[in-house]
Amino acid sequence: MRDKLLMAYRSIRERRTRSILTVLGIAVGIAAIVSLMSVGYGMEEAITGELTGYADFIGVFPAKITGTTYVELGSFTDRDLKDVQRIGGIKEFSAMTFDSAEVEYRNKRVPIFFISGDTKELESMYVEPVGLKEGRWLRENDYKGCVIGDRVANDYFDEVVHVNDKLIINGEKFIVVGVFEKASTLYASDIDPYIFLTLRATKEALQTDEINYIMVRVYDIEEAEEIAEEIKEAINDNHGLDDFANAMTMGSMIEMMGDVFNIIRGVLVGIAAIALVVASIGIMNTMLMSVMERTHEIGVMKAIGAKSSDVLSLFLLESSMVSLVGGVVGCVLGAVAAKVISLGAGTALGIEFGAVVKPEVLLGGMVVAMVVGVLAGFYPARKASRMSPVEAVRHE
Amino acid sequence: MIRTENLTKVYQMGDAEVYALHDVNLEIQEGEFIAIIGPSGSGKSTLLNMIGCLDTPTSGAVFIDGIDTGKLSENGLAEIRREKIGFIFQQFNLVHTLNALENVALPMFFAGVKRETRLKRAEELLANVGLGDRIYHKPSEMSGGQQQRVAIARALSNDPEVVIGDEPTGNVDTETGNTIIDILEGLNKEGRTVVVVTHDAEIAARVGRTKRMRDGRVLD
Ligand SMILES: Nc1ncnc2c1ncn2[C@@H]1O[C@H](COP(=O)(O)OP(=O)(O)OP(=O)(O)O)[C@@H](O)[C@H]1O
Ligand SMILES: [Mg+2]
Repeated sequence: MRDKLLMAYRSIRERRTRSILTVLGIAVGIAAIVSLMSVGYGMEEAITGELTGYADFIGVFPAKITGTTYVELGSFTDRDLKDVQRIGGIKEFSAMTFDSAEVEYRNKRVPIFFISGDTKELESMYVEPVGLKEGRWLRENDYKGCVIGDRVANDYFDEVVHVNDKLIINGEKFIVVGVFEKASTLYASDIDPYIFLTLRATKEALQTDEINYIMVRVYDIEEAEEIAEEIKEAINDNHGLDDFANAMTMGSMIEMMGDVFNIIRGVLVGIAAIALVVASIGIMNTMLMSVMERTHEIGVMKAIGAKSSDVLSLFLLESSMVSLVGGVVGCVLGAVAAKVISLGAGTALGIEFGAVVKPEVLLGGMVVAMVVGVLAGFYPARKASRMSPVEAVRHE
Repeated sequence: MIRTENLTKVYQMGDAEVYALHDVNLEIQEGEFIAIIGPSGSGKSTLLNMIGCLDTPTSGAVFIDGIDTGKLSENGLAEIRREKIGFIFQQFNLVHTLNALENVALPMFFAGVKRETRLKRAEELLANVGLGDRIYHKPSEMSGGQQQRVAIARALSNDPEVVIGDEPTGNVDTETGNTIIDILEGLNKEGRTVVVVTHDAEIAARVGRTKRMRDGRVLD
């Protein structure tokens, strides 16, 4: 066995360029699979992982969601809020206003969305995961203070907005007390274009106290779906409608995301499979060439007494060595590429995620490399090993 | 002992049938040194290939030590080529990725001989053909005559009873040719059967028996 390995190694080394090309062919195919799968898993993990942290959340809004359209049907009444709070199993409850306003800074006016609500609740939802770059978070008695998202501070106006700058919101002067960090996490990325206010400020200064978003946290995640259903019923009863309220648990959002990710991963695997097929054809071609080129040598070996099986095993050993190296190189390249791609994609999309290189993906990559390489080597090797010695020797 | 019985090899060339061998009946005794001569295309190589079990006849049979080679399996034929016969080609046909030592050891490798044993024997065989100082050279680093001597050493690797040479001196100069014939003569003296094809009348004169071929037939 050691001698066979040595011989296989010799003939690989002898045909260095061709062997390197074959290894590269395999490596590229495997790297494509490994990197695409790892990026897919990384994306999925980043999103579901983050959402799982919010698994006890239920979002309630007075709107119909069909596909991607969101039709607001009104706002919640005080009775709605009270009824929801009465439902068992709810740990925390927060009512918010979510609307748009005309905002002016140094003579430039833009419409911007604002969110107002219980400052404690907003703090745990947004300030904790994202963090403030400047200033402080809102206090319950901040009458005319506001905290702004990263894009509000940097992109919307001609000049960058800082703490203590004044914004005019719907004609009322507000002081910026804090600026958020750029939200790098997926879930909270929607805070970048928002302004945060206290409930008091919205009510007194902007004359709106319409509650159109309720956030609920439950004690037991298992009960989330059930509680969401109860909330929906309670509010719908109040309004005499079947589909006034929409209550979504994080769980159902994760599920929705899961479907999306299965599709994305399917596409990625599809692309990788095409890459692999192309690579396999290349590998088969090089193997075929390499065996054909050595028909004479095979003839000589048979003439001096090698059995067909000796010849076959030598060639298979050779192709599996090449595939093994190709597979290892491919896995390493794939893992590195996955990290680079996820870094690039993360920066481009403004989200933070790392590729997840699963051992089973690497193992799968190795198996595919070996199978493709050995199969590609098998056909020409068997063909050559079955030639009669004279026939093969005559081949120059 | 080698015996052929109505040995025939026909090549189909388009519509025409070419009889490379035509009912050849030939007996070669154990320990004989026999030269086969004849014009180009008369079927000499074809005959040697049949005797050396490198090719299969269209009809007729080759008996080696009484065994009908036509009845042997692929592996059985490989075993005869490996154990009983040493074949020397006009074109040397060494494996160019291996050095002289490894080339000579190759038939022993296929025979399953232990590494140390076969390398030692290969070294001795190379010394016997005067190449003791060239054992790590690759074929490309040797002259034609040296390569042919490596090929002879390789043919002797598994100590065969029969040594077959198809124009073993065809690609070397006269002087080297003589050395090679000397070596073959020595092998014959050791008791081996030696069969060579040659165009060289001088060589033919030195051997025990000469057979002439023409148009696929062996003449008396
Ligand atoms: N593979 C083949 N296909 C077709 N015809 C062949 C083949 N091999 C040999 N022949 C024919 O068989 C005949 C005998 O060929 P062979 O090689 O045995 O001649 P030879 O006596 O060895 O000639 P030389 O002295 O030139 O080597 C020739 O007519 C040749 O053309
Ligand atoms: Mg010939």
